[in-house]
Amino acid sequence: MQIKHKLISADSHAGFDRNDFTERMAASKWGDKIPHIIETNKNGKRIDRWSVYGEPKRNDVANCPALMGEPFPTYPKLYEEIPKAYHDPKARLEMLDKDGVDAEVLFPNPPGGTYYEYGDAEFELDVVRAYNDILAEWRRVSDRYVPLAIVPYLSAPEMIKKELERAAAAGHRGVNLMGQMPEGLPHITDSYWYPVWDVCQALQLPIHFHGSAGLSAGASVRKWSGYSPRQAHSAQTATSAVTPAQIVPQFIFSGITEKFPGLISVFPEAGVGSLNYVIAACDHEWESRHLWTEGVLTRPSEIVHRQMYVNFWFEAEGIKLRDDIGVDNIMWESGFPHVASYYPHSWREVERVLKGVPEADRRKMQYENAVRLYKIDAKLMDH
Amino acid sequence: MNLKYGFVSIDDHVQETPDLWADRVEKKFRERAPRLVAAPDGGEQWVLDGRLLLDGRAARAGALMADRNEDPKRWSEVPAAAYSPPERLKAMDSAGIDYSVLYPTVAGLAGETFGRLQDSQLEIACVRAYNDWLIDEWAAASERFIPQCLVPIWPVEAAIAEIQRAVSRGHRGVILPSLPMHLRDVPHISGPEYDPLWAACEELGVPVCLHAGASPELQSPLPPRIKPALAAALDGATKPVSSVFVISLYSFSRVLLRHPRLRLVLAESALSWGMLYLEWADHQFEHDGLAREGYDLTPLQMFKRQCYFNAWYDPVAPFTDYIGADRILWSANLPLTNSTWPRTQETIERCFKGVTRAERERVLWKNGAELYRV
Repeated sequence: MQIKHKLISADSHAGFDRNDFTERMAASKWGDKIPHIIETNKNGKRIDRWSVYGEPKRNDVANCPALMGEPFPTYPKLYEEIPKAYHDPKARLEMLDKDGVDAEVLFPNPPGGTYYEYGDAEFELDVVRAYNDILAEWRRVSDRYVPLAIVPYLSAPEMIKKELERAAAAGHRGVNLMGQMPEGLPHITDSYWYPVWDVCQALQLPIHFHGSAGLSAGASVRKWSGYSPRQAHSAQTATSAVTPAQIVPQFIFSGITEKFPGLISVFPEAGVGSLNYVIAACDHEWESRHLWTEGVLTRPSEIVHRQMYVNFWFEAEGIKLRDDIGVDNIMWESGFPHVASYYPHSWREVERVLKGVPEADRRKMQYENAVRLYKIDAKLMDH
Repeated sequence: MNLKYGFVSIDDHVQETPDLWADRVEKKFRERAPRLVAAPDGGEQWVLDGRLLLDGRAARAGALMADRNEDPKRWSEVPAAAYSPPERLKAMDSAGIDYSVLYPTVAGLAGETFGRLQDSQLEIACVRAYNDWLIDEWAAASERFIPQCLVPIWPVEAAIAEIQRAVSRGHRGVILPSLPMHLRDVPHISGPEYDPLWAACEELGVPVCLHAGASPELQSPLPPRIKPALAAALDGATKPVSSVFVISLYSFSRVLLRHPRLRLVLAESALSWGMLYLEWADHQFEHDGLAREGYDLTPLQMFKRQCYFNAWYDPVAPFTDYIGADRILWSANLPLTNSTWPRTQETIERCFKGVTRAERERVLWKNGAELYRV
C-alpha cells in the first residue's frame, strides 16, 4: 500500500452487516442461532438488535457515533439508519481518506468479539471462523485494513492454534483477547494457554487487550444510581487506564514473558501513561523482592520495552514522556467510528497532541511503528 | 517541628500487639476481637471472629526481616521495630525519616478489616480499642508519630462520633476504607448518606486517608499456584493503581464539589499513572459534555484543590508540572516488603533527579507537615 497521509490508526472498529454471518454459517446446523439482526420493541417503538444464539443483545445494533453527525453522540436504533461506510469496506475507504488516515487495525463492533457466553464450544468455533472470514474479506478489499482475529476460548488450545494459523494465512495480523479468561477456564497465566502464546510468537501475531479488556466485569466499583448516563460513561471510561497495569504484571511475574520473549502485547485505548506506571511499579517490586532469585531474570522495564505497545489519541502530557515509555512502543489510534473518534478531524487532534515533537518521533508514532509491528507492506508516496 | 532529615513519611504501618484488643475491648467481645492464636503449622496467626487475617502470618514486616519475602510466622520472630515505638524511632533514624503518619496492619493496611464485620457493635469496639491504643502507646511515646484513627463504616452517626472522639484524643487523620459498600451492605459512598461524615471532617480540619487495597476485587485475581513472592509482587504492582477507581468515583460523583474543604489522601497510590488518569478524566469530561451537567470544576481542578497522590518509588520530575508538587506526598511504607527501607534516602535521590529544591521540600515534608498539622 501507499503511505499518503502518514497516519495509521492502530485501533479502529470494523462494522458488521446483517448478512455477514448468515452467509457464512450453515443455516441447517445453526438456524436462528446465527448472529443476525431482529426487530424488537422498546416502549412501543421499533428497535433493531443483533440476535446471537437466539438471544437478543442488549446493546445498540451498531456503534458508530462518529458517522452519525449531530447531536453527538447518536447511535443507530434501526438497521436502515446505519451508514454504509460502517459495514462496507469499499465505502469506508472514502471515510479514511476524508479523515487523512492511511490504514486501520480492526477491532470488533456489535455483535461483538466474544461468543463463549452461550457455553456451546461448537457454536463459538463456527462464529469465530465466520468473524475471522468476514474481516479477512475486508483485507481482500484493501490492504489498508489490518484485521485482528478473535479466538474460540471454549475450544482446546490446539484448536485455537489451528484457527489462528488459518486466520494468519488469510491476512490477519494479530489477535484480540480478553484480559481475564471466561469462568471455568484456567487463569490467563496458566500453562494451559502456552500453545496459544507459542503460535502467536511463531507467527508474529501480537496479542491485543483493548480498553478494559473485559476486566471491568470483575474489577469495578459497585454501580451508583446518582449518575446521568454521560457521567457514568465518563466515570467508567477513564478507568480503562488501569488495564495494562493489571495485565502486564501478570505476564511478567508469571514468567510468560520470559518463556515467550517474542510474544508482543498491545494495549489499545488504555493511554500511553499507563506504561510509566507499569515500568515503575514492576521494577520496584522486582527490586524489593529480589525476583531474579524467583525466576524472573529480566528487569521488568526491559521486558516492557521489548514486548509491550500502547496507543495514544488525546494525551498531550503523556506524549511528553515518550522517551521513558519508549518511542518505538507507541502508536496513534483513532477509535473510529466510536465515540472517542474525532472523525473527520483526526489531524486536528494529532497536531494538538504532537505539538513540538520532532519529525522523526512523530513518524514513528503516527505510522512507522504500526508498519513494523503489523508488517504492513508500505511504500511512502513521493510528493 | 524539628526536622533533622527533611522527610515526613505519610504512609507507614504499625504492627498491632497481641494484648491490644485483649486488654481494651469489653469482656463479651474478647473472644471475637483480633487474637493471636496457635496455627496448625506450629506458628501463630491472627483471627477475628473466626476469620483468618494477614494470610496466616503473625505480622507484616518484610522490610525488617533477613529475607524480605518472609513475613514472621510467630510473634517471637517479629522484629521489634514493627511494634515497639522506641525501636521504630531507631529504624526511622537509620533511614532518614523525621515523622511518620501511621496506618494499621491487623486492622487492614487500608483500615478495612472491621468494616467487614456484620456486627457493628463489635466493629465499634475493635475500632475504639485501636484508636485508644495508638494514642496511648505510639503518640504518647514520641511526637514524631502522627496518629490517624479508624472509623466504623456505618451508621454514619457512629462514624462521626468516633472521629470526633479520636480527634479530641489527638488523631490527625481519618482512615476510611475507600469503598465501604464493598465491605458489607451499607449505602453507596457517593450518596448523600455520607455527607454528614465529610462535613464533620471538613469541620475538624482532618484529611480523609483512602489507602489502596481496601477493595481487593478492584485488582485482577491472582493466578492459582503461583509462588508466594511472585504473588506478592503481583499484588504489589496491581494494588496502587486500583486507586484510579476511587478517584474517579469521588470526583465524578461530586463528593469533592459538595465538600470543597474536604482533603483526600490517596495513600499508597503511587504517582506514575496519575497524570494519565487526570488528563483522561478531563478529556472525557469535555468529550461527554459534562460542563453542561452542573459541575463547577473539572476532575483535574477538583484534584488540584483537594487531593494528594502518595509516591514512594516513582520518578517525580515528569509529573510536577501537570499535577503540581503541592499535590504529591512521599512515604517510606515501613515495614512492608515493598518499603524502600533501609535505602529510603537512596531511593529519594534517584526519584527526585531534576526536581527543584523547593519542589523537593514540598513533596518530602512541607505538604505532609501542613496537612497533618505537624
